[in-house]
Amino acid sequence: MRPEFYKTLLSPVWLAILLLAAVLPPLLPSYYLHIIILSLVYVALASAWNIVGGMAGQISLAHSLFIGVGAMFSSALLLKLGINMWLGLLISALISGVLGAVIAWIDFRFRLGHLSFVLITLAFAEMGTVVAEGWDFLGGASGLLLPRDTGNFLAFQFGGGIGAFWVMLVLAVASILINVAILNAPLGYYLRTIRDNENAARAIGVDILRYKVAAMVISAMLSSVIGTAYVRYLTFADPYLLVSPIIIIEIVLFATVGGLGRAYGPAFGALLLVPLGEILRGKLGGTLPGLHYFIYGVVVIAVILITPRGLLPLFETWWARWRRTGAVPK
Amino acid sequence: MTEFLQAMAQGLLIGSTYGLLALGMGLVYGVSGVVNFSHGDFISLGMFLCLALYSALALDPYVSLIVTVPVMTIAGGLVYWYLIRPMVGHQFLMVVQLTLGLSLVLQNGILMVFGGQPARTPSVVESKLWILGDVVVRVPHVIAFVISFAMAIGLYIMLRSTDFGRSIRAVHQNAHAAALMGVDVGRVQTLTFALGIGILAIAAALLLPGTPIQPSQGLRYTVITLIVVALGGMTNFVGIMLGGLIIGLSEAYGTIYLSDTMGMLLPYGIFVLIMLFRPQGLTWSSAR
Repeated sequence: MRPEFYKTLLSPVWLAILLLAAVLPPLLPSYYLHIIILSLVYVALASAWNIVGGMAGQISLAHSLFIGVGAMFSSALLLKLGINMWLGLLISALISGVLGAVIAWIDFRFRLGHLSFVLITLAFAEMGTVVAEGWDFLGGASGLLLPRDTGNFLAFQFGGGIGAFWVMLVLAVASILINVAILNAPLGYYLRTIRDNENAARAIGVDILRYKVAAMVISAMLSSVIGTAYVRYLTFADPYLLVSPIIIIEIVLFATVGGLGRAYGPAFGALLLVPLGEILRGKLGGTLPGLHYFIYGVVVIAVILITPRGLLPLFETWWARWRRTGAVPK
Repeated sequence: MTEFLQAMAQGLLIGSTYGLLALGMGLVYGVSGVVNFSHGDFISLGMFLCLALYSALALDPYVSLIVTVPVMTIAGGLVYWYLIRPMVGHQFLMVVQLTLGLSLVLQNGILMVFGGQPARTPSVVESKLWILGDVVVRVPHVIAFVISFAMAIGLYIMLRSTDFGRSIRAVHQNAHAAALMGVDVGRVQTLTFALGIGILAIAAALLLPGTPIQPSQGLRYTVITLIVVALGGMTNFVGIMLGGLIIGLSEAYGTIYLSDTMGMLLPYGIFVLIMLFRPQGLTWSSAR
């Protein structure tokens, strides 16, 4: 681990943002609290995806599987078999980890190109949707309804609203910190080497299988845990929302808009787009359903055409230029 | 046995249209290496254009082709020229995200205009049936089969023996050399993309009679098309039509002999196996 990691960890900016975020929610009306929670969910998910999609450069569309396992399977374990959701969270995370390892192994074993990887993971995602809608254990097409959230911590209940906010804040921060940690650890360097030139990486002795599997397993387990927490907040395990390829497409687009492969890029994209989308949906959802997705699509096309590396690097360049020429003393 | 034959007829007839859908994507991939994830949403667009023409002017889907084919072809050309062309050559993986974004734009644009309710577009031949012995086939399916194969053969002849077709094949084989020979690569790629989308307008009208449509269906069509293209070896013409028939058959037999869920899983399972063990597709010699 490079010292930069600890420096980031203790940087006053980070801690100030955290403190501000932590004291904010009780002051907000519940509608805005909901938007913030949703943004945090996507910050966490986009950052988790970034480990594979950004750092290793493999556009995985299979992450809806991991989110789906975390959400649907843990709910089914609770409702059908009476297994405590904390345990369900662990079991789902393990299953997601194994699934992730298998997908990473397939990718390595068959030496898939980047494009084939996208196609195969899309096929896996579609299969996941079909299974979730057709398997009665997971509630089939009608989904599963979780018991009311009474705030019993031991039963994985956090009392809705503010409790859910805390959980999501913890998960989002953890997700971002894992990103920062990996970027500053050997794993991050290996992953970026693999992304930039796989053959060269192999030639200098990088164990490609090991690091691809490691990245995928970390990313999958994280996504699964976030999925479990998300479904607890929603209380309704809806396969059309949680296992559908739409959720992963959203995540990919947020990460792309923010900046792929950066520690804060995907989080930035999600923080920018989710509130925008939710407010649009709240204001115009009745008259123009789908407007927020339409705008996501337009934004991502515009960002890719104007600044393919994402918005965060663009703002960083502007910031640096402004510091050089502008008012801030050296 | 009747069931078996019935499923075979159905699978072959529908499969031919899947093949036609995939020809467009295969052509585009061959010429510019772009896999278009908004392919299925362009099919949706074609279908909803037919619906709009029916609501406004009571046009039969087959007649509205006069309008939808030019409109979609031009739309395809514009999309390639202004959105995708700047990406080709560098930032290659970004095309994936770009077309995913385009898919959201199309799907939700359609949703905003037409609403999310499943809709039908009637046609005069919609409920006509042909009875051949034990097998009953629907006339729209027969029309789809005939036109799909006619289109495929027409495209094949176009590629073989017109100047435009030759320039497409030249760019496919070696874009750099083609450019040196005076082929305007960007123009060929744009026209091919436009052609691919124009073909979709026809395929959309062929699939339309008797099928309820809704805006969210696009991704499913994209995935089916991708499966067929991969099955056919990405750019192999004959292989792609064959792939369409195989997927049509596997869908028809899967839903009859296996459970609903298993039947729907079958094409994806086939796809994954093909990608892993025969990434060059099912056919043996490439028809370059």
